[in-house]
Amino acid sequence: MILTGNKIKEEVKEKRINISPFDEKRVTTNSYDLCLAPKILRYTSPILDPKIKQPFEEIEIPKKGLQMNAGEFRLAASIEIVGSNHFVPIIHAKSSLARMGLFVHCTADLVDIGSLGNLTFQLFATLPIILYPEMLIGQVSFWVPLGDTTLYKGKYQNSSGPQPSKSWMEYPE
Amino acid sequence: MILTGTEIEKEVNNGNILLKPFSQTQLNPNSYNYRLGNKLKKFVKFENGTSVFETVTIDESGFLLEPNQMYLANTKEIIGSSKYAMSLIGKSSLGRLGLFLQVSANLGHTTSKHKWTLELVACMPIKIYPEMQIGQVSFWTNEGEIEPYSGKYSNISEPQESI
Repeated sequence: MILTGNKIKEEVKEKRINISPFDEKRVTTNSYDLCLAPKILRYTSPILDPKIKQPFEEIEIPKKGLQMNAGEFRLAASIEIVGSNHFVPIIHAKSSLARMGLFVHCTADLVDIGSLGNLTFQLFATLPIILYPEMLIGQVSFWVPLGDTTLYKGKYQNSSGPQPSKSWMEYPE
Repeated sequence: MILTGTEIEKEVNNGNILLKPFSQTQLNPNSYNYRLGNKLKKFVKFENGTSVFETVTIDESGFLLEPNQMYLANTKEIIGSSKYAMSLIGKSSLGRLGLFLQVSANLGHTTSKHKWTLELVACMPIKIYPEMQIGQVSFWTNEGEIEPYSGKYSNISEPQESI
């Protein structure tokens, strides 16, 4: 079962869903709209290797906007801290940006129950697009779990800002 | 409803979910990490209206995926359930490296049981390794009577191009 917007509002009040800052105007029929934090990351190595910590640079999106070209990949984050110990969040694009060819994740939409932090977006542009700081970039829905829960204690807990891949931690020397 | 990791393990033990081989270490709070098999199909050419692929073995030193094309691979595990519907997706550590695991076809039908074909698309050049934990599968409760899946891909465990 997916929560309605009204239920999301109620669960935020009950502190069973954490969305911070929370603005009732961003609640949609079945989700909550998320805003783009101004700092994004770009990997700088020509080949990505999951076994090796990848170098990256930070880019600040200026007020006048920043163009992403078709085929470019960047990491970004939500301004909001999002998490729940009671529901499973799933990340989605906003249809308005999807219609401009922007992916906000690379098939990794599922958030673990118990995780808390800024959500990292995996931005992939299929057409040129201008990003603006604080623009509405995506949405998060909440789903009812079945079974006893074991809360997330993984390597991205308490993420602040966009977090590059920590896959290299899964490969001990 | 989406099953928690604890419930997935319980249903594996009850025989209602098939994850073979199964390892507790691959359980997440609400999904299970699957591994990459060791074979991959690389696009060669488009001929007479059909894509021609060549089969490549992914060896221990890794295989480099190039952007702007799609590779077919498979899961190491046999994944299936006669009770739950499945959603096969990527995992955030690889998503953060720009790797797609499928091309908007995440839904696994209840009663299908096989090694899943993955449709790998890389946003940037990326190396992949055999048996790496590359994505995750979640399990969802059904409402309504189940009509067993008898589609053409239901028993295929090799990376399978469109038929």
